[in-house]
Amino acid sequence: MKVLNRVFWVAVGCTFLFPLYWMLTMSLKSKSEAYDNPFGIPSSLDWLNFSEALSKYHFYTYFENSLIYTAGTIAITLATGSMLAYCLSRMQWKFNSAVLFYVSMGLIVPIEVVVIPLFQLVKALHIKNSYFGLILPYSGFAIASCVLMLYAFLRSLPKELEEAACIDGANVYQTYIRIIFPIVMPALVTQCVLIFIRIWNEFPLAFIIASKDQFRPLTVGLLGFFVNVGVTDWGLIGASMLLSSLPMIIVYLVGNEKIENALTAGAILK
Amino acid sequence: MKTKSKAAAMFLMANILLVSSACSSGNETKSNQPSDNPSPSAASTEDNKETAAPDGKKIKMRVITITTDENRNNIMEKFIKPNIAAALPNLEVEFEPGGGGEDMANKLKTLNSSGDMPDVFWNDAGYFTPLKNTGSILDLTPYISKDGFLDKYAVPDALKHVDNGIYSLSSGADTYFTPVIFYHKDMFEEAGVKVPTTFDELIQISKTLKSKGMVPAVTPGKDGWGPKIFMLQQMIQIGDPQAMADLVSNKTDFNNPSVKEGAARIETLVKEGVFPDGIANLDYGPAMEMFTSKKAAMLWMFTWELPNLAKDETVDFFPFPSASDKYDPAQTVQFWGSPVNGYAVNGKTEHPEEAVKLAEFLAMADALYFESTGAPISLQTGNQANDRSPLMQKFVDWYNPIPNKIASFALNSLDARTSAEVSTQGANLLTGEYAAEDFNAAMNKIWGENTWFNK
Amino acid sequence: MNKYFSTKLSIFVFASPALLLFTVFCVYPLLPEIWMSLHKHDGFRNLGFVGLDNYKDVMASPSFWTAHKNTYLIVAISLLLGLPLSMMLSLFMDAQTPRFRRFFKTAAMFPAILSVTVVAQIWLAFYEPNWGLFNSILHSLGLSSWTHSWLTEKKTVMPSIGLTFLWQYIGLNAMLFYTGIKTIPKSYYEAALIDGANFVQVCLRITIPLLQNVIKYILILSTLGSMAFYSHVRVMTAGGPGDLSRTVIYQMYYTAFDTSEFGKGTAIAVIFILECLLISFIIQRYVAREKLEF
Repeated sequence: MKVLNRVFWVAVGCTFLFPLYWMLTMSLKSKSEAYDNPFGIPSSLDWLNFSEALSKYHFYTYFENSLIYTAGTIAITLATGSMLAYCLSRMQWKFNSAVLFYVSMGLIVPIEVVVIPLFQLVKALHIKNSYFGLILPYSGFAIASCVLMLYAFLRSLPKELEEAACIDGANVYQTYIRIIFPIVMPALVTQCVLIFIRIWNEFPLAFIIASKDQFRPLTVGLLGFFVNVGVTDWGLIGASMLLSSLPMIIVYLVGNEKIENALTAGAILK
Repeated sequence: MKTKSKAAAMFLMANILLVSSACSSGNETKSNQPSDNPSPSAASTEDNKETAAPDGKKIKMRVITITTDENRNNIMEKFIKPNIAAALPNLEVEFEPGGGGEDMANKLKTLNSSGDMPDVFWNDAGYFTPLKNTGSILDLTPYISKDGFLDKYAVPDALKHVDNGIYSLSSGADTYFTPVIFYHKDMFEEAGVKVPTTFDELIQISKTLKSKGMVPAVTPGKDGWGPKIFMLQQMIQIGDPQAMADLVSNKTDFNNPSVKEGAARIETLVKEGVFPDGIANLDYGPAMEMFTSKKAAMLWMFTWELPNLAKDETVDFFPFPSASDKYDPAQTVQFWGSPVNGYAVNGKTEHPEEAVKLAEFLAMADALYFESTGAPISLQTGNQANDRSPLMQKFVDWYNPIPNKIASFALNSLDARTSAEVSTQGANLLTGEYAAEDFNAAMNKIWGENTWFNK
Repeated sequence: MNKYFSTKLSIFVFASPALLLFTVFCVYPLLPEIWMSLHKHDGFRNLGFVGLDNYKDVMASPSFWTAHKNTYLIVAISLLLGLPLSMMLSLFMDAQTPRFRRFFKTAAMFPAILSVTVVAQIWLAFYEPNWGLFNSILHSLGLSSWTHSWLTEKKTVMPSIGLTFLWQYIGLNAMLFYTGIKTIPKSYYEAALIDGANFVQVCLRITIPLLQNVIKYILILSTLGSMAFYSHVRVMTAGGPGDLSRTVIYQMYYTAFDTSEFGKGTAIAVIFILECLLISFIIQRYVAREKLEF
């Protein structure tokens, strides 16, 4: 019974990993083999798909764009979000609770429903054809959860450290940068991971706003590639999918535990 | 602790990347992009200086054209820039890159509303209406009739918009695109079937092909592409060409029994198993693949794929078979292209004569380019025709003498909303779970709200 | 110290960047959205005020209701199937040896880190009617009559896409549950075991009640996440065949960008925002009302 139970759950676990197997084997199959033997083990190792995918599919451009969008959003959100969280948790301001409530509204509205006005806004601000066309809206939407989480984190911290800094004669900015920023680092890392997963895989807004090929992130570029170039060639599709997922898989395997902790931290703090 | 420092390092790296990216984000043209081409304006104005007109004064012309299309860039580099100075010595032409698709449409609509339209521009059905409503498009008929340019077109009628005006000049390569049924001769032989001449025979041979384990026919069905672009039109006109011609010119609607039969024929095709399972979600690429890899015996497709398909010697084609004696494939055919796609002249330009000459020159450059690729064109260049593949020759021999050429419904009768709705309804029809009656009822409502003809 | 730090200038410096970003890109767009929904608008030009006509037209369209049906089907799938399943997964994880748990956790989270485009494309190959995985398996089991053209049949298209979605996020939700389970003191279980309770009874009596807060969090997350369901549909079927697999967000995109009726598109968005507010209010108000201390 126990063995049977174990076998069942191992099988369940394998279904989650099946796509990895499938991408890998598919990427090594020739065009005709991919059709004749779509799910089996490839008869020979054919690395051509990768070189072809790299030449036809603007992988480096899309990858660079995805990195820029993700890194930009993380930098802007963490910098501004941690400042606001610090302000709300440490400074005496009569609007503190009002601002907290105002910001928490951002958790309810999904980014997808304001795509149309965002599209118009980004056009009107003349940032449609720049990286800020996506980074700024992404940051605006990521700020709510970032502020609320850091606020909860900061409130749980003792104030002695800052008081010591205050006695040393440091001003508020120095204190923030030298004392607070390092202390909240664990929470920042958590947010960093959360935003990374969210933005790296974001699709709807990027699909509308990054319409020019040179600004497309991987998610949108990959779809474009499927539709325009490689749609008949599953070997090529497998190779491009694997290439696109590889950065994320590596990050996940390296920082596996951190990511799990980060993802679940949200559930505990709220 | 180790993982924490790794993540921190990642964060730092991310910041560095952001700084470096901020520098590059302002620079909109990246050298590794295929769509980018060096700005043609500098080169062409320079050329012009060398051959100044006798009076020393040149007329300035501003042109906006598509710059994201491989064909277009080739035309610009190989046919327009090297020749324009000699052909039009009195003009100083500035080319402004227009991008393509949505960007091009937005750019022109914006320029139009701010009264800053160029003298000559690439016109498209997608933004023709707002431009025409504000008088920004010139009717070229008097100019090109007078100078004889109109006579260079093999199918002059293809240039006429529904109001009989001529608003754009193109090479006419589009007018040679028509949907046909490509098939593999060897697969037909193996199954022991002959090329069908009637709709019922088409159903019969499909059943035979299917019983031999072949997929009878494929066509791109995802998002209703096939039904919207040609299938509905073909299924209507093989029963009654006049009804289809009337529909394209808004003289009839989806209450017309002949029009209704079109949708019913699509329903029949799907129910009789002419198409494979999942046709409603089949993309263009996979449909092509199923045919070229000989999984499917027939491919319903436009002749723009003919040069590619002709490379396989087993491929032949036949026109859509008839469903009534009103239709004869040697008498009626659908053609692609829209009369409003091509080079247009601003209705408010200060020098209409010169602008029209410029548009004529640009259209001719298009023609010379497409001719060099072996594609048939409607605008005659006066050059000797290139050698054609036997299949292309067969096509031209069949296509040219056909007297009744019906414009494509998808390009010449639908506003943006109707077009999207026809796709939706067409895809529904391909599922086999949607009755033709429902389709016709839905289409009638949509057709009633179509604003295309309110011009 | 607080007085010393809380100058007006420092508050302004610390609060304004985030508030500005949040206001401009997250809150402000709601205003033009409402304004646009009251006008006829083609995305480029405002063609005049039409009052509530857009709302009437949108609600009269059968596609709008198909989209609602599909959206709430996805919500139902992720709440009624997804949550219990991921809860079971997490309870199972808790009962494993640490080594096997490691493997299982890594595996279960894996689909969530893949891009939607990749996941959807993979499942497209699974659902492909002629050579796809599911139909191949059914044929080889001699169950050919069970095969379907999964993504083009009215009955199967939405559940098929829903299954993909379920599969992608079930492991992530299980992880969230598992973190909650870890925080429950072991002494509770020991007491229950002494009382002779079996696994199911322990779950019902201890684990689930003590997880209330986590459940509430995941409930809100999954509900709002599945209401905004769009990307999988975009890649797998483009809303098709016809309008059969459109969700509300898809219908909004379609109306605005495909048919150039931005007024109607934004009307759909405004209706949908109200639905989201209402639903999160209901969850906050009626589900898991009591606040638990950790």
